[in-house]
Amino acid sequence: MANIITMPKLGLTMKDGVAAKWLKSEGEAVKAGETILEITTDKLTNELEADQDGILRKILVPEGEKVPCQTPLCIIADADEDISGCLADIEE
Amino acid sequence: MLEKEKVQSLYETMLKIRLFEARVSKCFAKGQVQGFVHLCIGQEATAAGVCANLNQGDYISSTHRGHGHIISKGADIKTMMAELFGKESGYCHGKGGSMHISDTSIGILGANGIVGGGFNLAAGAALACQMKKSGNIVVCFFGDGSSNEGSWHEAMNISSVWKLPILFVCENNLYGISSRVDRSMAVKNVADRAVAYGMKSTVAYGNDVTVVYETAKEAVEYVRSGNGPMLVEYKTYRQHGHFEGEPDVYRSPEEIREWLDQDPIKNCEALIKEKDILTGEERSMLQEKIESEINEAVRFAEESQFPPAALAVKDVYTDIVEEGRVDR
Repeated sequence: MANIITMPKLGLTMKDGVAAKWLKSEGEAVKAGETILEITTDKLTNELEADQDGILRKILVPEGEKVPCQTPLCIIADADEDISGCLADIEE
Repeated sequence: MLEKEKVQSLYETMLKIRLFEARVSKCFAKGQVQGFVHLCIGQEATAAGVCANLNQGDYISSTHRGHGHIISKGADIKTMMAELFGKESGYCHGKGGSMHISDTSIGILGANGIVGGGFNLAAGAALACQMKKSGNIVVCFFGDGSSNEGSWHEAMNISSVWKLPILFVCENNLYGISSRVDRSMAVKNVADRAVAYGMKSTVAYGNDVTVVYETAKEAVEYVRSGNGPMLVEYKTYRQHGHFEGEPDVYRSPEEIREWLDQDPIKNCEALIKEKDILTGEERSMLQEKIESEINEAVRFAEESQFPPAALAVKDVYTDIVEEGRVDR
């Protein structure tokens, strides 16, 4: 199933985070529980894990960019799944 | 060997805790949870196994990692979830969050945001049970780290001197926040310290719910029979960070892997399979049933209102008119 992964809130005071380093590139397969992105905040560095098996179809935030919590970071879906619905949701 | 129905009910409680906590983890990442949460994923067996030996009139005092204890003592997960979301329909009308959930009608004296804050409340409740001769007991849950607090030693001491009906249950998950136990404690077991207070104690494996249930059963009977307090220490492990979002860089991947392999739910599922207690289909039906209860709880929390600003300080301060002060 196609899913949008958003910038998680990690800890009580986090308002935004930096997509510090993508460990997977677009088109690469990911497994549930596998780290896909390193996130840094004022306080800490944390790892974002995929919560499902699939393909990292689209990266929406480039490395080094700081975005508020809940900003869409990427889309994970099956290899040939239509992700236009997800992209439209993000546009809104 | 426990009867099948007992294993099944312990499994159901553990699964409810696991699925509740897993959902809270997701809701926290989505920004829906209003305060800090410390999840007990990996420690379900101690909560479920101990509380299965208690009556409704018995009391528990809990910790900052309290959802498992509270669910096992019979709390309503809708009201719990609403509290985590900061909503008026929650246990503390949305003003307490994860670490203040309490329900005295079923003996839950409260989770506690203060490490070591539950000991003297538990001892006080045990004194009340003793004076009222109610036959009820108190289970005081605590972690390894808090046994270094002065309040723990005070409560251990007075409970033993007064032979209070209290069972101290240590969930030793090997870390007090990021400090490994051997960096903050010179003895091997928390239970070793009970000797200093003339209190009976035992150490057991905390990731097998049948072991927890059996050892707790014996301990609860000992305390309920008027022998005074006892301490049981369970060795266990939390699978998430100290709080949600914590990077957890102080534990080695090997150690984490080793304990993931001893997951209490997997351990119980292996037993269920071996003894043919539930079929695969019955197990997935049970999971679906719990999932739908949790979906309902999240929906209830989402749809509930935040408390109105006018009530911001209601229930927060007291007029101090409790017994003993009224006439002065």
